[in-house]
Amino acid sequence: MRKAHTSIGRGHVAGWYEIRVQGRLEQRWSAWFDGARLTHDQKGTTVLLCHVDDQAALYGLIDKVGDLELQLVSVTADMCSPARGARSSAD
Amino acid sequence: MPQPLLETKLFLPAPRPGLVPRPRLRARLDRGLTSRLMLVSAPAGFGKTTLLVDWLSSLSASSGGRPRSAWLALDPADNDPARFWSYVIAALRTALPDVGSNALALLQDSQPPPVELLLTTLINELGTADGDVVLLLDDYHVIDSAAVQAGMGFLLEHLPARLHLVVASRVDPALPLPRLRARGDLVEVRAVDLRFTADEAADYLNGAMGLRLSTADVEALEARTEGWVAALQLAALSMTGRDNVSGFIAGFAGDDRYVVDYLVEEVLQRQPEDVQAFLLRTSVLDRMNGSLCDAVTRQRRGRAMLEALDRENLFVVALDDRRQWYRYHHLFADVLRGRLLDEQPELLAPLHALACDWYERSGDPVEAIRHAVAGGDLSRAADLVERVIPTMRRDRQEVTLRGWLEVLPAGVIRLRPVLCNALAGSRLSTGTFDGVEELLSVAQQWLDQADDAEASEAASTDMVVVDHEEFRRLPAEVAFHRAGLALVRGDADGTIRFARHALELAVDDDHLSRGAANALTGLAAWSKGDLETARSSYAACLVEFERINYVSDVLGCSITLADIEITQGRLRDAMRTYQAALDLHERHHTPVQRGRADMHVGIAARHRELNDLATARQHLMQADGLGEYASLPQNAYRWRVAMAQVCEAEGDLDAAFDLLDEAERLYEGDFSPNVRPVTALRARTQARHGRLDEALDWVDRQQLSVTDELSYLQEYEHLTLARVLIAQHARDGEAGTLAQAIDLLERLLRAATDGQRRGSVIEVRVAQALAHQVRGESVEAVAALQAALDLAEPEGYVRTFIDEGSPLMPLLTAAAEQLPSAYARRLLAAMAAASSADPHAQAPSPRTSGGMVEPLSGRERDVLRLLDTELNGPQIARQLVVSLNTVRTHTKNVYLKLGVTNRRAAIVRARELDLL
Repeated sequence: MRKAHTSIGRGHVAGWYEIRVQGRLEQRWSAWFDGARLTHDQKGTTVLLCHVDDQAALYGLIDKVGDLELQLVSVTADMCSPARGARSSAD
Repeated sequence: MPQPLLETKLFLPAPRPGLVPRPRLRARLDRGLTSRLMLVSAPAGFGKTTLLVDWLSSLSASSGGRPRSAWLALDPADNDPARFWSYVIAALRTALPDVGSNALALLQDSQPPPVELLLTTLINELGTADGDVVLLLDDYHVIDSAAVQAGMGFLLEHLPARLHLVVASRVDPALPLPRLRARGDLVEVRAVDLRFTADEAADYLNGAMGLRLSTADVEALEARTEGWVAALQLAALSMTGRDNVSGFIAGFAGDDRYVVDYLVEEVLQRQPEDVQAFLLRTSVLDRMNGSLCDAVTRQRRGRAMLEALDRENLFVVALDDRRQWYRYHHLFADVLRGRLLDEQPELLAPLHALACDWYERSGDPVEAIRHAVAGGDLSRAADLVERVIPTMRRDRQEVTLRGWLEVLPAGVIRLRPVLCNALAGSRLSTGTFDGVEELLSVAQQWLDQADDAEASEAASTDMVVVDHEEFRRLPAEVAFHRAGLALVRGDADGTIRFARHALELAVDDDHLSRGAANALTGLAAWSKGDLETARSSYAACLVEFERINYVSDVLGCSITLADIEITQGRLRDAMRTYQAALDLHERHHTPVQRGRADMHVGIAARHRELNDLATARQHLMQADGLGEYASLPQNAYRWRVAMAQVCEAEGDLDAAFDLLDEAERLYEGDFSPNVRPVTALRARTQARHGRLDEALDWVDRQQLSVTDELSYLQEYEHLTLARVLIAQHARDGEAGTLAQAIDLLERLLRAATDGQRRGSVIEVRVAQALAHQVRGESVEAVAALQAALDLAEPEGYVRTFIDEGSPLMPLLTAAAEQLPSAYARRLLAAMAAASSADPHAQAPSPRTSGGMVEPLSGRERDVLRLLDTELNGPQIARQLVVSLNTVRTHTKNVYLKLGVTNRRAAIVRARELDLL
């Protein structure tokens, strides 16, 4: 049987994303954002590194950013996250 | 309203004391009263609700013609259109108690109304309402259903002048905002407008909260919170009763942590531990009262705690004026939930389970299911869904039900035969067939296994059944759904087989299953041409549906039953069927009107057949007056077909053809077989009135041939083909064409006789009479006509004969001489009267053979001359300098003396008599 190519049906692509928001968000919000890893940088922004199963899950996370009235700075697909290897064994 | 409404959703929050007045925003909203939509769009915590409440109270303060307000707080369950519009109407009725009763009746009907019909009805009711009303939809961002959004778009597009729409949302709604903006129909209040200016912040902190802060402190707070109201409130809360306020402000301003995090931390730290625990635990609740809080905290002071939070302004919002139900401010609730998730994630499932228990105990399955799903207890959710299925069906909340069923994992569903069947049914009813077959098979396997287990007295181990009553009905329902699946696959025999099986299995009091199975059997039998089975099935289905008050289903099935009866030549039965359906409203005192117009159309068509054109017209007008609101979807085309035939009988062919064209465009078939296509009726009418080429085009397009295999479904078209061929022969004189027509008619006669379709037999016989007559075979012709008359007499057919016009006249005369009867004499008289009214009639009418009965007066001749122009009635009146009524009187006399009933016929007759 032919194996379906993973890029067929973009809505189903699982992957890592970096969601950057303005302000310093504490690590305790990790559970709220489905276990995202939170890191802070010098510019006073917080990066949420999260693994999503599909686009719907990504939009769900962005909605949560909005619910808290956090200011969204950017969303980037992170194709080669350093956390990838560590995470994928747990998947 | 079948399901009780949550009054808390309609509760207009009271304005909080100590609000900062915001005249600039109030003024903007005042301006909005002249626009179409007021949109308050900003994230949580910007004071959207507060602003609207404040604005409404300012409206009520200014006296004189102030609009009333209707408030609706939306929640995610409102994505079910039936629920959404029920609540909208309920909200409107808090302001205008008499409005919306027709729309509500539609929602209670057994068939869900198309949303545009529902809204048109509501809009019409609002149009006649007394006074202006502002409808405020709060938390509109929870709406993501395309059906609800489309309905809102339609409402906006047709908004009555006295309804003012306000939408408050965290995100811009999916409404045509750019278009509304461009037309100046939109007034917006957005985050940037809602932010507190430095002055407003000072007013709030130093005025309302009495903090006595320095200008520098206020500016620091305003800058750090960016005028975000929720953050300012949290900050004020943290500062109340604090000694070193400036120290707090400096610490806050110098910190780059997420504002809310910082402030909630500050606020929580200052609360006693039991209050902190209470806040965290109750954060899983969307709404709460004392008893519910007691249930999830396992304590007994929920009510006192809520009152204390309310007093201290700790982000609770009262949801009713008795202060029983509250919710947390959305943002505060999110922060609390975030903390709970971080600090005590293990509490989440038990808290939701406790909330689920409480809601189940208090009879709110919708919330109970929500908590079961949120707590991850899907098998509990499945149990609850199974128990609530009958109620959800009764209340037409199919969308919500399907939403739950689709959320539950396949593994959970598979163990529950009742849910397998319910999911299959809800997919079928929305036109999705994926997995339906498999779901039904799984349900069937459980049923078979249960039977075996009963036989061997061993309990089946894995199967889960909670609602044993539903399980008892299950065999019939599974069979019924299989019948439905067979029907959409075009398998009539399978449909009948499964539907019969469903009927055998259905328990006696299961009227819905019995009615539906009978309807399916009827439909499948009808499309096979087995009319006797179809008729008895539909008759049985009407009895069942009437038992459960499914009014518009009764009316819908009555149309079909009457159609079948007409084909069977049972005109009187058809009339009784329509009348019984109309009487249903008196018998059941139901407000549902839908389908009543359809009955009048059916009655009109029967009166036309009896040649009582005036009564036919009267019923058509009555149907028209009842309006779309009282019509089923097919009525638009059926009304035009009936009216076209009345117009044709009256001699107004242009109107008849126009109506038939419209009917073709508006054709709506549903699942019913199209046994009398509008295009065939048009071709028949064309052939009869000398427009043969168009009729022949139709034959080509339909690819009809005299050698086609005959089936009931195409009977009407083949009979039309025979008629077109007879007309073609009359023009071209080719003997072959006529022979083909006669052959075809012979075959049609056999098929109709075998199928016991007496109505069809009569029509075929009349066509045969005409065909034989053309071939000079008068013995055969009269015999065929006599056969038709014998069948038609008991039911009183008239137009079927006299529509044929002059060619049938000598045959009818001969038949009446051979076998004198009152019926034949009546037909002859009617034909004579009709042909004198028909401008296309070739035979001289008895009135005219000796010229005019009475000569026209001078004034009548003037009117007659003007009738032969393009002028309309009022123009003629002006021309003759008389009143319109006088013109009408003269016109009536002209028609009477010429023996005609319309203008066109009058001109034709006048020319024949050399009066023009």
